[in-house]
Amino acid sequence: MSAYLAYGKKTFLGRSAYRFDHLMSILSTLLQFFIFYEIYRTLYGGAQQVDGITLKAVTTNFVLSLGLGSVFSPDDYFLPNRIADGSISTELLRPVSFRGRMIAENAGNALFCLIFKFIPVLTVAMLTTGMSAPAGAWELIMFVISALLGFGVLFSISFTVQMTSFWLINIWSITTIKNVFINVLSGSMIPLWFMPDKIRSAVDLTPFASIYFTPVQIYLGQLSAKDTAVKCMIQLIWTLGIYAVGNILWKKGQRRLAVQGG
Amino acid sequence: MSFIEVKNVRKTYRVSKRGSGIPGMIANLFVPRYEKKEAVKDISFSIEKGEMVGFIGPNGAGKSTTIKMLSGILYPDSGEIICSGTVPYRQRKSYVGRIGVVFGQKSQLQWDLPVKDSFELLKAIYSVPDSVYKRNYDRFIEMLDMAGFIEQPVRQLSLGQRMRADIAAALLHSPEIVFFDEPTIGVDVMGKEAIRSFIRELNKEDDVTMIFTTHDMQDIEKTCDRVMIIDDGSKVFDGTLTALRDRYGAERKLDVEFMCDTVTEPISGVETVDTDSRHKSFIFGREIHINDVMAELMQKYSIRDINISEADIESVIRKIYSGEGTA
Repeated sequence: MSAYLAYGKKTFLGRSAYRFDHLMSILSTLLQFFIFYEIYRTLYGGAQQVDGITLKAVTTNFVLSLGLGSVFSPDDYFLPNRIADGSISTELLRPVSFRGRMIAENAGNALFCLIFKFIPVLTVAMLTTGMSAPAGAWELIMFVISALLGFGVLFSISFTVQMTSFWLINIWSITTIKNVFINVLSGSMIPLWFMPDKIRSAVDLTPFASIYFTPVQIYLGQLSAKDTAVKCMIQLIWTLGIYAVGNILWKKGQRRLAVQGG
Repeated sequence: MSFIEVKNVRKTYRVSKRGSGIPGMIANLFVPRYEKKEAVKDISFSIEKGEMVGFIGPNGAGKSTTIKMLSGILYPDSGEIICSGTVPYRQRKSYVGRIGVVFGQKSQLQWDLPVKDSFELLKAIYSVPDSVYKRNYDRFIEMLDMAGFIEQPVRQLSLGQRMRADIAAALLHSPEIVFFDEPTIGVDVMGKEAIRSFIRELNKEDDVTMIFTTHDMQDIEKTCDRVMIIDDGSKVFDGTLTALRDRYGAERKLDVEFMCDTVTEPISGVETVDTDSRHKSFIFGREIHINDVMAELMQKYSIRDINISEADIESVIRKIYSGEGTA
C-alpha cells in the first residue's frame, strides 16, 4: 500500500515543479469559463429563465463542470507513452501493479488540482458571477460522492482507451475523438438541459452524462433522493463495467507484450 | 542445480515486413505481411550464485532478448528458465522484487524529482526495511560519490551522474540478481572506472549474481570472470577471458628496440614487422613459447627495450563476429 501512496505523493510533488505552467492552466480554465458565461448571458438577454432553467443554474453548471474538469484530467498518455518509448517493459519489472500505480498517480494529480486549481477557480467564479449555493447539506454530501464516481467513470474510459495502445501504438486520434465526445455529451460545453429531448435521452444511455452532469444536478437539488441514489448507482455501474473491459484488454496486452516483446 | 538454469530456450518474433516506398506502404495497409525472426535459437547455460557473467555479441544477436526472458518480461517460445528457484515469466510479481535491472539507455529515475526522492520512492515500491535502506544508501553515496548531486532533479544531471544514480537505484533493495544492459554507454573514462569498481566491490561484498551486456570490452575485462558470446541467436562461446584468448588463437606481440641498427634473421613461426632500422615487432601465436623468442633475440642482438603485448580482447571478438576462427 505504501508504494501506491508514494506514487501518489510523487505525482503531487512533481506537479508543483512547474509553477508557471500551473498558473497558466488556472488562467485557461477561468478564460474558458468566462467565455461560456458571457455567451450564455448574451443568449439569455436578460430573460429570467429559458426552458425553465435559470442563468444562475447554467452558470453553476459551468463553474462546477469546468472546475471538476480541471481536477478530472486523467493522463490519457500514461500507458501509450510508455509503450511508444518501450519503457513499459521496465515498468513491469517493478513489484507493484501497473494499474494500481496508474490509479495512484492519477489520484495524486487530481488531489493537487483540487487544491490548487479547483479551489482558486471556484473562488474567482463565486466572487465574479452569481452561482448558486448547494441546495442543502445532503445535496452537498451527495455531490461530493457523485463527483468522485464521475471521476471513476472518466478514469475508466481513459483507462480502456489507453489499453488499445498495446495494438495501435499511436492512439492520438482515438483519444481526441474520446475527448470530443466527453466535452460535448457531458454537458460541460452545452448544458444537457438544452439538448433536444431525443438526443438527451440518447445521451442518458451513454456514460458521458454521468461524469459531470449528474453531480451538477445533485448540487442544484434537481434530483429527488431516489433519483440521486439511482443516478449514483448508474455511475458506479459504468465505472466498474468500463474498467472491466479495460482490464481484459490489459491482460491481453500484457500477454502480447510478453510474447511479442516491447 | 545451479542458481540460474537455462535449458534449450528459443524465441521467435513476428516482425511486420513491408515493401519499400509508397506502393509498399499502401499494400501493407491492406494486407499486412509478417515474417518470423528467430532471435534466440536454442540457448542453454547455467550460472552459479555470485558469478559475474558478461554477455557480448553484435547488435541484434539476441542478448537483450535473453536478458528480457531472464528478467521475466518475455516468455520463451520453448525451453526452460529457472532463476533462484523461480520461473521468472510465470511468477513475475514475486520474482521482480528480488532482481534489479539497469538499462543504460533508459533511466528508471523520476525525471523531475531530485535523485533522493526517486530513491525514497523505490524504497516504498520494494518495501525495503529502513535499516537495509539506510545501510545501502550510505554505502552507495560514498562508493559512487553521489553526495554532490543527490538533491538535484534528475533532468539536470550529467549522463555520468545519471548513470551512477541509476545503478544505485537498481541495487537499493539488495537484489539477488542484477542485470546490466550497457551500464557504461556514453560515460567518460573516469565515470566508467567508478561504475566498474562499484560493481566489482558489490559483487564481492554482497555476493550478488550479475549479468552484463555491453559493447565495451573494457567493461568485461575489468569486471567479469566469465564471458558468453552470443551471435545470431546462438551461444558461440562460454568461458573465461583467458580461455577465450587461448581458443581463438590470440596473437602476442613483442616490440623490440635495439641498441643499434640491426638486421634480424627470420625466426620460424614468427612474423617480423620492421618499423624502422632500430624498432621491430615480432608477432606469434600461442603455439610458440614467448621465452624461446626472447631467448633467441637476447642471444643474437643487443637490446635496449622490450615490450610484450597481449592481443586485446577486441581483436579476438572481431574475429569471432566476422566468422573467422570459429573452432
